[in-house]
Amino acid sequence: MNTILVRRKWEPYLWLLPSILLMTVFVIFPILIVFKLSFSEISKAGIVGNFIGLGNFRAAVTDKTFGTVMANTLYWVVSVVGLSTVFGFMVAMVMNTRFHGRKIARSIIIFPWATSLVIQASIWNYIINFEYGNLNNILLNLGVIKDAINWRASYQIEFLWECGVGIFVTVPFVTFCVLAGLQSIDDAYYEAATVDGAGFLQKFTKVTFPLVRPSLTVSTVLNIIYVFNSFPIIYTITKGAPANKTDTMVTYLYMLAFYDQRKGPATALSVIGFLILCVVAGLYMMISMRKDEQ
Amino acid sequence: MKKLVALLLTVLITISCIGFAAAEGDITLDVIICQYGNNTNNWFTGTGINGKSFVQLFEEANPGIKLNLEVVSWNDVYTVVSTRISNGNAPDILNIDTFADYATEGLLLPVKDYCPETLYNDFFPSFIAQSEIDGTVWAVPDLASARAMYYNTDIFKEVGIEVPTTWAELEDACQSIKDFYNGDVYPWGMDMTTDEGQAAFSYYAWNNNGGFVDADGNWALNSDANVEAVKFAVGLYQKGFTNPSPATQTRYDLQDMFGAGKMAMVVTTNQLPTYLTEKGYSVNFGTAALPHNDGAASGATGVMDRVMAFKDDAYADQAGRNAAIGKFLEFFYSPEMYTGWVSMEGFLPAVSSAVSYLVEADPSFKAWLDVLDSCQFYPTAKAEWIDVKQGVIDVEQNALLGGDVKTLLDELQAKVAK
Repeated sequence: MNTILVRRKWEPYLWLLPSILLMTVFVIFPILIVFKLSFSEISKAGIVGNFIGLGNFRAAVTDKTFGTVMANTLYWVVSVVGLSTVFGFMVAMVMNTRFHGRKIARSIIIFPWATSLVIQASIWNYIINFEYGNLNNILLNLGVIKDAINWRASYQIEFLWECGVGIFVTVPFVTFCVLAGLQSIDDAYYEAATVDGAGFLQKFTKVTFPLVRPSLTVSTVLNIIYVFNSFPIIYTITKGAPANKTDTMVTYLYMLAFYDQRKGPATALSVIGFLILCVVAGLYMMISMRKDEQ
Repeated sequence: MKKLVALLLTVLITISCIGFAAAEGDITLDVIICQYGNNTNNWFTGTGINGKSFVQLFEEANPGIKLNLEVVSWNDVYTVVSTRISNGNAPDILNIDTFADYATEGLLLPVKDYCPETLYNDFFPSFIAQSEIDGTVWAVPDLASARAMYYNTDIFKEVGIEVPTTWAELEDACQSIKDFYNGDVYPWGMDMTTDEGQAAFSYYAWNNNGGFVDADGNWALNSDANVEAVKFAVGLYQKGFTNPSPATQTRYDLQDMFGAGKMAMVVTTNQLPTYLTEKGYSVNFGTAALPHNDGAASGATGVMDRVMAFKDDAYADQAGRNAAIGKFLEFFYSPEMYTGWVSMEGFLPAVSSAVSYLVEADPSFKAWLDVLDSCQFYPTAKAEWIDVKQGVIDVEQNALLGGDVKTLLDELQAKVAK
């Protein structure tokens, strides 16, 4: 009898052990090592030296490109997360209604999320190409424009394209998170609202939005983290050039570590990024939970 | 029964993790080779040499030495190598372009320790001198490439202009081409990307009596000649004579444009003919020296890569290891292997014994060797080279955005000369 009780107590932990081991080895250990490296001096060849306190952090933050990179990261995250949430919500509301071919539409919507980011960024690169791109081709053939337009005229425009691609690949994720929330709303609420004489806007603000908020919180927090850490889109389209003007924190620290061979400041930037995400995600969740309680 | 099966599987997994030990007395060398072209991997590890690989042929000729050879793309090699060094797992033999950082941190073996005398004397002395720091040579050259200006002969005939030899002539030629084709053909190719922007700097600086270092070998990045050179280059871009995005269009994009007849002149490696044939382009071109500024000497850019050996103090048989590395080099640089390798990738040799073989096979090769004689190389032996390499690219990209060239170069000089 005793052995069965002991087994029942320890068994769940045994089953969890492989996952915990995997996570420790592949996630927690590397994070701890990066923290340690960020406080150490790392030579150009990659040899890890002594503890130098906040030296790496100081070097990273006082670099003249740090301001540009942080501003870019802010624009990137705010525009991609914000606009993809808005569009995703709209698409989800459409998907929630009944129409012919809804199942097919739902399958198609998932493609940008499911396809590799590098492939999509490369394809968009070709689409906006000045000489051979499909965009110019189509517009020229439709007679909308007379001469080919240079869609990459300046780095600001290139950055907008990158944000556009980011929004394009993030919308499906938001759509499905919100759709899950929408489908869990009981029709009874809408019927009661109609009986009370509520119009579409009132139904949306008083019934739909409050009940979908938990799903929206989840999707927004996850999005902030994914988009902040997103590397392939920017690296494929502009590589952060020219002169780091389209770099976000992640692409910048990659260049620092592996092109400039300055791994110390690069690891310091990783840690700073980690702390920023912790604070932002934590704050957002706290604010949302508090609103939910209300 | 289930428990027995589970136990058996666990034992099997553990055994497979241990791996196979080499035969007693075998020396295994970890080698990293950079991927120069589409054929590199096949030649070294596939079936590129008459159905066999370099590794196979080497191991057959040298029983007792095993090669653990990896071909890595140039995009990834810096990442791979620095990660391995950080983990204490540096390769035994490395083929890459820079070496000064590894040498100054005491990671490399001096070449004299492992390179056989006859082979050492076969290298071109000017190449060996490029890998010397304070009297010790730390790496041997594996191959070289020289840059030349390629021009589209059909375009020049149609527009009716001569090939430019000076900067003034270059601007006139570009203007004529731009006017004639109304912007459909880019007159001049310019690559100022993170891929190889430092080459662009050298094309203009070395043709204006400028350069990275002064006569004493000290950094002189903000010399008047350099400021003038970068201003000239950026001026070409601002006048609309170049491809639209020099900061993001690499040498390969330019080569594609040239092959498609969309670009009149491009400065690139002597591999261009091979590249164009492989990609199926058919364009009539000629080669010429890069245009130089009036009153300045003409300067050709040479680029050289290296092979170096890392120390492994933990290895028991140091003499045996050095001998094995020497055998690898001897085999690699033996005429049959080396000339096959160099001509396959379309590069120029680094050993004199290969020259006669190659000239015999292709007499036009001699012209390139003459260019090589007058080539200048990057100051890769200086410890700050990596910073300078990235730095000049940064300067160029900022200048393209409208930054002041003198200020940017002054800042860079201050950063590296401190």
